[in-house]
Amino acid sequence: MPPFKDDQIIIIAPGSETTVAQLGLPESFTPARLRVRSRMFAAEKDGEWEPFKVRRRQPKPAAAADATTSTTTVPPPDATAANGDDDLEYEEDRITEDGAVWPIQDGRIVNWSCFFALITHVYNALNPPFHTPILLIAQPVWTPKEHEKLTQFFFEKFKTPAFSLMDAALATAWAYGIHTSTVIDVGKGKVDVTAISEFIPHTQGRVMSLSGYGGEALTQQLLARLKSKGLNREMCEQLKRSPICEILPPDTPLPGTQEAEQEVVTNPAAAASTGAPGSGPAAAATIGNAPRGPGADTEVGDDTNPEEAEGVLDVASIVAGGKMEEYLAKKDKEKQEKVVAKKKGASEAAAANAAKPVRLPNSKREKAAFLYEDHALLDNLKNMNLGSEKLAEAHAALDEGPQRKGEEAGEGEPATGVETNGTGEATLSNTRNGSIRREIEVGTERFLPSESPMFETIADAVHRTISSVDEVNKRSELWDAIVVCGNGSKVRGFKEALLATIQAKYLISPSSATIFTSEIPSNISTPTGTGANTPQPSSTPHGMPAAPSHVNPLLYAATTAQTQHLMPSSQHGGSPIPNPLQGLSSHNQHSSHGQTPTSIKLVKPPEYFPEWKEVGFDESAFLGAQVAAKVIFVVDQGQNKGYMTRPDYNEQGPQAIHDYAL
Amino acid sequence: MNIPNSSTAPAAGEYAGDEVSAIVLDPGYWTTRAGFAGEDVPKSVCPSFYGQLDSDSGSQQLFGENAIHNPLGNLQVKNPWGSDGIVQDWETATKLWEYAITSRLTGAKPGDPTKNGLNDGTNTNGDAMDVDMDAVENQEKPLEDSPLLVTEPGWNTAKAREKYIEIAMEEWGAPAFYLQKTGVLAAFASGKASGIVIDVGASHTSITPVLDGMVLRKGVQKSTLAGNFVSEQIRLIFKQSQPEIPLTPHYMVKSKTAVDAGASAQATYKTFATQPTDSFRRHEEERVLTEFKESVVEVWGGNGRLSNGANEDIAKQMPGRPFEMPDGWNQVFGVERFRPAEALFDANAAVHDADHPKPKDDQTIPRLVQQAVQHVDADQRPLLLSNIVVTGGSTLLYKFNDRLSNEINNIYPSTRNKLFAPGSVVERKYAAWIGGSILASLGSFHQLWISKKEYEEHGPSIVEKRCR
Repeated sequence: MPPFKDDQIIIIAPGSETTVAQLGLPESFTPARLRVRSRMFAAEKDGEWEPFKVRRRQPKPAAAADATTSTTTVPPPDATAANGDDDLEYEEDRITEDGAVWPIQDGRIVNWSCFFALITHVYNALNPPFHTPILLIAQPVWTPKEHEKLTQFFFEKFKTPAFSLMDAALATAWAYGIHTSTVIDVGKGKVDVTAISEFIPHTQGRVMSLSGYGGEALTQQLLARLKSKGLNREMCEQLKRSPICEILPPDTPLPGTQEAEQEVVTNPAAAASTGAPGSGPAAAATIGNAPRGPGADTEVGDDTNPEEAEGVLDVASIVAGGKMEEYLAKKDKEKQEKVVAKKKGASEAAAANAAKPVRLPNSKREKAAFLYEDHALLDNLKNMNLGSEKLAEAHAALDEGPQRKGEEAGEGEPATGVETNGTGEATLSNTRNGSIRREIEVGTERFLPSESPMFETIADAVHRTISSVDEVNKRSELWDAIVVCGNGSKVRGFKEALLATIQAKYLISPSSATIFTSEIPSNISTPTGTGANTPQPSSTPHGMPAAPSHVNPLLYAATTAQTQHLMPSSQHGGSPIPNPLQGLSSHNQHSSHGQTPTSIKLVKPPEYFPEWKEVGFDESAFLGAQVAAKVIFVVDQGQNKGYMTRPDYNEQGPQAIHDYAL
Repeated sequence: MNIPNSSTAPAAGEYAGDEVSAIVLDPGYWTTRAGFAGEDVPKSVCPSFYGQLDSDSGSQQLFGENAIHNPLGNLQVKNPWGSDGIVQDWETATKLWEYAITSRLTGAKPGDPTKNGLNDGTNTNGDAMDVDMDAVENQEKPLEDSPLLVTEPGWNTAKAREKYIEIAMEEWGAPAFYLQKTGVLAAFASGKASGIVIDVGASHTSITPVLDGMVLRKGVQKSTLAGNFVSEQIRLIFKQSQPEIPLTPHYMVKSKTAVDAGASAQATYKTFATQPTDSFRRHEEERVLTEFKESVVEVWGGNGRLSNGANEDIAKQMPGRPFEMPDGWNQVFGVERFRPAEALFDANAAVHDADHPKPKDDQTIPRLVQQAVQHVDADQRPLLLSNIVVTGGSTLLYKFNDRLSNEINNIYPSTRNKLFAPGSVVERKYAAWIGGSILASLGSFHQLWISKKEYEEHGPSIVEKRCR
């Protein structure tokens, strides 16, 4: 078999939310080129799956003419299964996720046929040539039997010449290039905590798929806080991804504890539209949900105004209820008013309080806005069977995107933040310009508390994982090398909050050395009780007496805590066990301070991957996979059984993957 | 299956030959170990404790590490094992073991709609899902393609043994089954066919004399002086010390502040709407005690007992070890740290109070070894004493082996006594599982399996005949 080359290698990393993949390893490792939402749609036939929602529609003659304005709705020619005989036409909708099936949940594969379809879709999207080895990143929770199943699938479906599996946590360790670490992988609906020593993950005591904690939980937290403001889950999801959502350190005061300085824009349109009688059922339901009057939100103490309530109105249901024309008219009016108000407000505000800094950091601003891509609205528009001309019109009228964008940039928020944190469809060409964007302003609800059960539970999981590592002496090293990765941890301040929680609960304070202050022999100069002057190993006397009966035992214990290596390992005679293996157990001996952790640190991400540095190391498992793929497929060429070849598979069957997988 | 009659040995390929993916299950009081035969460590190590959520709509059982550490108001933490070291709650034990096997080894049963997560979320096309699930694999029993080797304690009753095979065959649909005693397997793991196996686990200490791969049943000794007993001793020491040492588990503490040694803790505590149950608290306290055992407790490893002559004075002069509680309370433990484990060897040294009487002298490890050896023919004793295998998590107590060696040399000064204690922690903790893994992957072991057909023919009593 010819050796594998860099540009032939496929890496696939399936996730609960996003599956990332790449064909070929570039000179300098880059983040994954292909990002696909991990979901499929049921096709007409049972057990078959489509990557995009296919909906049936009545074709309009004008549809083709408008291709320039309505990019989304005109399907790519190859994707349209037009039926020549009758009027039925199918179109692919590339944005909607209505009715999607997500085959991976909490890291587990719950729907195998859907999962296989997803992988096939990813594989076809990469469009690989022959002779491509595949490296699959395995979720920790996948069982050995499932590994076998996957192996079988890859060899038999894709006829791949070589295949290997790599544990996600291990891949992260490869990315960071550290042999011993604790990897906390925060996913969509779960958290995995893995202790890795010498590049071997500890399977015992590994906390896998701690469900209910992760990105989705954060969204739900936001939803719980913002539901009364009329935001739905999708809005909260996008708010979470936007840079204005933040987890603040415990003692940060929420902005807006002083009087709010926001311009209140009265908006008659809002009241009118919410109060509109006789709308469709969906609209009526919305009215019930959305706050009607200015109910002061006492919890955070900022003033709720109709403007805000209007801002998060479920436009989709209004449109569905047939009130679009009306709504658009109002919208227009409102826009004009807004512009006026803005001008007025700007001058007023400038005059009123010149002291107010123009560019406040997010954590200081009481309110902030983010762009919301309203898929539901778009769905509704499409379902109304409008002609594309009309659709485009409505689209343009409702979209606040471009105009807002400029404003946002003016506000000093990196506009690209939305993009990079985006829904992961950036590579799907026409998604972005297809959606209808609206700006939604939120108050201090966007700040999540760092003292939440979530962090405590994760911290507890870390403690359990490390405590179940059998080699007691490895534990402090593990505490010193904590890696937080996974897209769930992307929210600003997440890592810091998690680290702070872990430290507050589990750090063994160095001031155990405050035992000094309790009974100090007067003739020994001692450090202060604060522990600031804890004696360094160099300051202790050299010839440590074996049984220092004259020294205070407390002092002695404290000093030997740091100079364990000076102590004879066996102080008291006792016939040693005549066992050659006995020597090995020495690594299980106590150090004087056997308890861990005495320090807890996050690992710094590697410096030498410029492309990764830009986007962050949340998907570092993919980087690790790139490193590993390079090593096992290209450098090692299978000498150390880094991957399973097709002949191996033919001879030994899928069970043999366990001998090869990393 | 082309077995003409039940006495014919199965053909080599019958259970997939050497590729057999047998599963080895080693249930214990503290953890349940499961993994594939032929591997060197069990892939699945689950706590044997489970959570029970009682609500109006009935009680729900939660398994696995993640479920039992969640401070919910009404979560009871329980254990299916009885105080005699034999499974008591079979129904739960079955589910627990099944969880240990399916969660990490074989994957969840696709047919179980409560587990596979397909029923939650907002999928709208329920019909497609149903059909799909059938298409995946119509597997009803979790172990249909894996022979199963289960370990049992040496004192298991005949009834319990039959229960094991019933679970494996009826509930899990295993194609083949075998039952082996932990003692024998631990000896195998150390490469011995004969020897004395000293297994100090969580709930029980057992001494098993093994001769040529067979357990001498009458020689099997057990007592409750094991890991849990040591924890209980620590609790008593904490309670009886002046002032009392507070034992606050992690889940109650929100954050702690550093305090002087011995000073009372200054931590902020968490408040709960409903206080977690006592059993939950106890189990969480056990975690702290485990840490204490790992980092502070030491077995007196010198000559003689701790109470002998000047030993205590020597111990007093040895440097203490500091320990910090989850709430920040900390202290240096001097001679006290020798006390909790001393009673494993010296019943008189046990800390005791009204509820916890002193153990009897014949329950201590040296006495147990003595009794076990006495049941062996005199001419076999030197052979056994030169192959003493030490296993079990509690033997990891610091200096345990030094002390054990001293004690045994004192009892049998004239024989050549040799202790075999695996150096690596994994091997020490999971010795019985590793022995099972070795055994079940041996080609010649294939003829020992009890096949499903044989079970159907003879019923559960076949286990008494075949697994000795």
